[in-house]
Amino acid sequence: MKRPILLFIALLVLGAVYYAYKSYNKPHTNVEETAAAESLTAINLFDAFDTDETAALTKYADKVIQVNGSIFQIDLSNDAEPQVVLQGNGNNGFIRCGFKSSETDKVKRLNDNVTLNVKGLCKGFNSSEELDLLADKDVVLSNCMIIE
Amino acid sequence: MKKITILIVALLAVGLVAFTNHSGGIYKTNTGNINFYSHTSVEDITADNHKVKTAFDASSGKLQFSVLIKDFEFPKALMQEHFNENYMSSTKYPKSTFSGTIENMEAINLAQNGTYTSPVSGNLTMKDVTKEVSTIATFTVTDGVVNAKASFNVNPEDYNIDIPKVVSKKISREIKVSIDADYMHTH
Repeated sequence: MKRPILLFIALLVLGAVYYAYKSYNKPHTNVEETAAAESLTAINLFDAFDTDETAALTKYADKVIQVNGSIFQIDLSNDAEPQVVLQGNGNNGFIRCGFKSSETDKVKRLNDNVTLNVKGLCKGFNSSEELDLLADKDVVLSNCMIIE
Repeated sequence: MKKITILIVALLAVGLVAFTNHSGGIYKTNTGNINFYSHTSVEDITADNHKVKTAFDASSGKLQFSVLIKDFEFPKALMQEHFNENYMSSTKYPKSTFSGTIENMEAINLAQNGTYTSPVSGNLTMKDVTKEVSTIATFTVTDGVVNAKASFNVNPEDYNIDIPKVVSKKISREIKVSIDADYMHTH
């Protein structure tokens, strides 16, 4: 009679250990395998954050989204993370898309002045009213991939 | 007589242009790096952000940073989740900013390649708490691009970051924040 109970407890402990191990080592969000929660234009995404940052954060932050916009700049100034900047409002508003360094060659092959379809993890809105030297406003995406 | 006046005006103009070129202007980047590192005997934790927005004014020495908390990448997804949800409440407090001064700006010759140091101090804001921090920064000028490196320690408890007892031994009370940014001249 004792044996099944012991076996049950052992299984429970094993299960708990397995669960703890799995959550400790769970992988980062895989952008490639995650379907985009929203698909929108760079202009609409920028406008959402510029109009109501809190609402846009709730809606888009930590989610994989797909964005279509025209390339303002290909920014290879940081070797650790190649970046592409999309036009957000035609002025000082942008979508800044960061790629893994393994994507550098693909980013380099992009041409300025073309439209780009990109999927990435939304990280929020880097803008600050109080800091006068940092007047540009960027919606930030990370772990991006180019959608052909 | 007229010729001399014209000559003086011309010389003044040239001097003024040369002066503004060398000492004025805003230097900026959107791709600066911030790393933080927490060391304890139990665990080392490190995270990186490569999209740091920062600029300085070469005439006044005014220096500013703005960085998104959610954009710090940790080696482990679970750590990143705990950092954002439990410690930093990054949806409620999405940014950290710094506003301060390069105190010895006049000692940095942006027109001449070389390495310069200066004390930097100012206000660091995280989770709606603002505290003064200061450090010594190293500026390396290479053909007009200015690389700045600096580091300082932050105690999470100073910024309303509660660390539960269970993980207390895993998180340092002296988290090292390191900055590495390449500034370009803008205007």
